Amino acid sequence: MQNAKDSFYVALRTRLAALNPSRTILLRGALRPGIVVEEAEAPFTSFPNDVFVLRWQMLNLDSGLPATLAAEECEILYQTCGSQSFGSLDRGRLLTAMDAELVSMLQPQSASKFNFSAEPPVQMLTQVFWDDPTFASLITQRDVLSRLAKVRVYSYQEPGE
Amino acid sequence: MASNWFEAPAPVARRVRAYFAPVQRALQQPEIFDPVANGRFDLDAPPTPWIDLGWIESFLRKSKSKSQPLLTGIPASVFGQVRETLEADVSFEFQRWTKLTMALATGSQHMNLLAGTAGGTASPVGTQAATAVAIQAGSTATALILSSTDVTQFSAGSLVAVDADYTGQLGFVGTPIAGAYVRQALSDVDYVRRITFNVGLVAEVNGGTLMLAQPLPGGDPGPEAKLQALTGFVDREGGSFYQEWSALFVIVGSQDERIFLHYPRLQPNVGAEETATPLGERRSGGQQRIALKASFAALPITDALDGERVLCYRSFLPAPHAAI
Repeated sequence: MQNAKDSFYVALRTRLAALNPSRTILLRGALRPGIVVEEAEAPFTSFPNDVFVLRWQMLNLDSGLPATLAAEECEILYQTCGSQSFGSLDRGRLLTAMDAELVSMLQPQSASKFNFSAEPPVQMLTQVFWDDPTFASLITQRDVLSRLAKVRVYSYQEPGE
Repeated sequence: MASNWFEAPAPVARRVRAYFAPVQRALQQPEIFDPVANGRFDLDAPPTPWIDLGWIESFLRKSKSKSQPLLTGIPASVFGQVRETLEADVSFEFQRWTKLTMALATGSQHMNLLAGTAGGTASPVGTQAATAVAIQAGSTATALILSSTDVTQFSAGSLVAVDADYTGQLGFVGTPIAGAYVRQALSDVDYVRRITFNVGLVAEVNGGTLMLAQPLPGGDPGPEAKLQALTGFVDREGGSFYQEWSALFVIVGSQDERIFLHYPRLQPNVGAEETATPLGERRSGGQQRIALKASFAALPITDALDGERVLCYRSFLPAPHAAI
């Protein structure tokens, strides 16, 4: 399942870098596209603004198939407090822009599966694929607007995984 | 050594995509899809002459063919089976309203509402149409050249129908896609443009040329073609004409496998119907999406390979690296 999770993240990261190169995050001294996997980073003291945070949740397995099907739910959290230059008055627009970026990042709804533990990464035989996202209601806390989207990500377990 | 193949489960797919191509009615010649030559075509750019009608919903196909046992002996026992009837239905909902989807989702001929002249007699298929204008030589399926005076009648956003005048033809009419069958001569000089599938949206007017948003389904207009503005479409419950088209339904699986359902000959077998689907929570007064409901009977062709009569071909292109 780790290969599927990694492949989903890297697919979204690659697509985000092409969609909006200016959405970045400086982490451990490296400037990266603004999307991170929560479980693969040091715990956040405060939730970062203007980046997408992936959080893996539920896992279901269907082993009654020729290849076991794994269904993993990925929560994608993001928030913004707007930009200083507009006195945060643009926070609604910026959150809508993140909604649109997420929708675009998730298209097409599949990506090749790679084994990223190898160097260079090795393309595997199957593809990771996912459903349409479901968007939760917008949450307002003072001047911070946040949203949570859920995507169910599917993958087949390949021999040796 | 890592395995370089896998046991693929049954395909997982979200949607079905529909493509249609005209049957040459006068020649009784359907369009044949070759899955070897074109199986991996770009879904957004189907091979000519297939027309992309988008993703469809509630796709259902049903074989109604019946087999009967052949009984022999005393007492009689099953010696074998014979195929007694060859029948199949296909139904689904179009998610777009276009000239072609409307035509396919109605049981009879489908007409264009030609823009009229003031004071014409009221008619359910449109008042007296404005005079058609000539199309100049050099026009193509996407660029229609008009005279400097005629071009002023059109602007970006205009809908146009392109086809020949009706001059007493009998039989199938419409160039080159048959849109109706005329049993006895008519008096309407615009009749062919009323039923033609050669319609388009003007994207821009460039000098004396109308640039269309999409190519005319019938290709480059012939020398006898004329052009009229249209305002919409109309079909009727009733009539004796049946549309007949070749159909291709494509299901793309999650592992890039492809299933093709190819019906060389489909004819609508019900009248026009719509389905309403609430956009949000089901509540009265909420917004609803109105989809075109289409239902077809499959007609047979004779397969040149072995002379068998068939209604449908189901092709499957496995996922890359999948065991077969």
